[in-house]
Amino acid sequence: MTLAGAIERGRALADRVASGVRPAAISWAALTFVVLLALGGGPGVSRDEAAVLAASDPALAIGGEGPAPAPPLAPALSAATRVLLAPAGVPSLRGARAATALVGAILSAAMVALAWELGPATALLAPALFWAAPRHLHAGLVAGPDLLLAALALGLALAWRRAFSEAEPRRRVRAALFTGALLGAALAARADGWVLGLALALEAGLSRALRLPTPADAARPRATRTALVALAVAGPLLLVAAWPALLSSPAARAAALGLPSRGAAAFALGGAASSPLLSAAFPLAIAGLTVPFALLLVLAAGLVHAAVRLGRALSGRAPREEARPVLLLLLLALTPLAAAAAGIAPRVGGVRPFLHAMPFLAILAARALVHAARMAWPSRAAPLAASLALLVLWPALRTSAHFHPTGRAAWNELAGGAAGAASMGLPRQEGGEAAARLLEVVAERARGGARVYWPTSSPAAVRTLARDGRLRADLATAAAPEEADLAIVTLDGAGRDGEYRAWSAFRTARPVAGVYVDEVPLGFVYAAPGAWR
Amino acid sequence: MSELSRLAGRAAGMLRERAVAGLRDSVHSVRAALAWAWARRPPWRRVTALAFVAAVAWAGAWSVLAQARLASRLPSPLDWAAASALLERDARPGDAAALSPAWAERAREALPASVPLVAQARLAAEALPGVRRVWLVSIPSAPGFRWEAEADLSERAARADPPSRVGALEIARFDLASPTLPIAFLPDRLARGAVTLGAADCEAVGPGRFRCGAAARVERTVREIGGAARPCLSITSAAPLDLPLVVTFPPSRIGRTLDGHAGAAGAGAVAAGTAAPVRVAVLLDGEEIGSAELSAAGWSPFRIDTSRSAGQVRAIALVVTSPARLALCLDALVLP
Repeated sequence: MTLAGAIERGRALADRVASGVRPAAISWAALTFVVLLALGGGPGVSRDEAAVLAASDPALAIGGEGPAPAPPLAPALSAATRVLLAPAGVPSLRGARAATALVGAILSAAMVALAWELGPATALLAPALFWAAPRHLHAGLVAGPDLLLAALALGLALAWRRAFSEAEPRRRVRAALFTGALLGAALAARADGWVLGLALALEAGLSRALRLPTPADAARPRATRTALVALAVAGPLLLVAAWPALLSSPAARAAALGLPSRGAAAFALGGAASSPLLSAAFPLAIAGLTVPFALLLVLAAGLVHAAVRLGRALSGRAPREEARPVLLLLLLALTPLAAAAAGIAPRVGGVRPFLHAMPFLAILAARALVHAARMAWPSRAAPLAASLALLVLWPALRTSAHFHPTGRAAWNELAGGAAGAASMGLPRQEGGEAAARLLEVVAERARGGARVYWPTSSPAAVRTLARDGRLRADLATAAAPEEADLAIVTLDGAGRDGEYRAWSAFRTARPVAGVYVDEVPLGFVYAAPGAWR
Repeated sequence: MSELSRLAGRAAGMLRERAVAGLRDSVHSVRAALAWAWARRPPWRRVTALAFVAAVAWAGAWSVLAQARLASRLPSPLDWAAASALLERDARPGDAAALSPAWAERAREALPASVPLVAQARLAAEALPGVRRVWLVSIPSAPGFRWEAEADLSERAARADPPSRVGALEIARFDLASPTLPIAFLPDRLARGAVTLGAADCEAVGPGRFRCGAAARVERTVREIGGAARPCLSITSAAPLDLPLVVTFPPSRIGRTLDGHAGAAGAGAVAAGTAAPVRVAVLLDGEEIGSAELSAAGWSPFRIDTSRSAGQVRAIALVVTSPARLALCLDALVLP
């Protein structure tokens, strides 16, 4: 095939993809699924992911004890894909993570569907802006509730919009009930899922107070009431149906309540939490230091652009019908950020407390970028938008590739990368996932039958790695460094006492192997004399 | 002559007039051009869009450049190998290496094993027992680099030579003005010592490790105190130490003071309730010569005056009691 022919075919394919919301959504979903599935075997297993895997697979639970009560949807999805893919010979970890790849595909499709009314260029660009950030990509590679909540947030936005825009009352009721069911699923995914319901209720209340018309303007006398009642009734009902333990177990009820987590800023920022400037609004600080700089600029511009458009619509300088969709996107972007700042989100690292805000920010950012290109150079808007998108996406994708498979160790250019973040005392990774990167050298060099001490890795994570074949089968686990031949430690801000005890037990502070990113150590292997070949 | 000067004056005057007129015309043209441009200025929304496009282009280009430059700001394996060779050649007993920034711990793998690494990030208040000279291995071009370690060392040491540059690494030697050279570091002598809880002897379960039934354990180890590694006697008890725990060391020459520290071991010690106050008493041949009440939160120092027995060879014992269960890290230096 000639170059001209290839270009022609590429253009034809692009035209076909951009020809309608369905082909665009399917294309993005397929691309996302393939990429996430292909990369899903790379990352190690963090303590949070190990908890999800242990809840999805009783064989991984510690000493026969059941895992701590937690929202069941993410473990249930992981269990389902693991069981479904097992006959095809897919290893259990990849099988469990396939659920996240599927959720990622749905998220991409939902982003396209939600953004399509803002223009095909916006809809096609928005998922790219979301996935280009290394920590967002990493969330799509591991089992957990964060990406699931983000996908459910997008689903909620789509269903909520339909609950007001459908012409037939019966369809409106059906859409409202679906919204309630999705809210129930969000509650079953993560305890702070109710924040999404709050955002929708706020949107309904503000729209009513400001008398904002729906885009397809028509008389909808009871639409707001129906939607709110559906949220309030169907959501909790589905939650109880998905999590029957709520009726009997006080511990499950406490987990479902998702009580405010004190010290969330300290957890996310590590040693840098001592800086009052950084901790004052830690979601903004974390986003500002993790999202690649050019992408961050566009995300911020998207928010400002949306606020300006809302202001223009409210003041009558733009059609008033534009206000409601912008208000919905803004509220769904800002409410999770505010909730995280208030300590309502769970104590997890990086952008995970407010990951469900990021798809909405990405949609607003894509719209701002496309709009700016159109305003700046109307006759060359498409090439200019494409060039700007490339300038934003290239450094972000490069960062993602650089940090993979330890995407949660990624810090942006403002932080100075991993090295600058370590200088500031920011956490280097989350929950000991870098241990997996040391297993290859351990498999190669460890003495046969060596006992390994894992002070920073969850037992369920070690079992997962062993069952997945990444940990050599003859290696045993030691409970204390004095009983061990090797110690595999990760440096994640959770204390280094276990590592120091290994120094003492092995009479050396010199590691035999290490894993580094930008010269910052993420993990070390220590060996007793004779245990390392 | 006067005619000539009159002509020259006229010529100069004409030139000045022409220059002023030219300048006036230029200013007028610029003003006209500016007025023309202002009259045809794009709408502010387009100006904003152009500014945003420029900002995005700049941010993207800056990001690419920042990423490309990062590798050259950090040391390569070759730099570490050269630094190792330099220390291998020049270091001698009594030397230690310090890192700046403190996270640059590839040095643990790369630098020679004969040069111990100082585990603390801040060095101004550290005793650094047994260390006469410190080699500061720094990465000055690392993002977020601060000169704290160098400032700390400069306060208490003289820099022997200008720093050597090894790729992205910089190596400077600091000779400590008054090094702490202990007569004995007591935790290191535990292997030849004895431990009792009340009247009962504790069982030696390994070199430098004792078990007092299920009640307490004593061992020479390294623990994390306040985020730093501390070599110490680790004393762990499952219940309050109602009976005195006595750790007796083999006889040693006594100096003027016995300096020590105590702290709750482990990152979560305070939350785990093992950071209770402790009483540490010092006995010389069974006679109490001093004691200290210590809060175990942090790394609390204590000093016992032993000048009365200075120069004598005596058996030293530390007696620990606590009203709560313990996970204590305790060190003690016999100083001349």
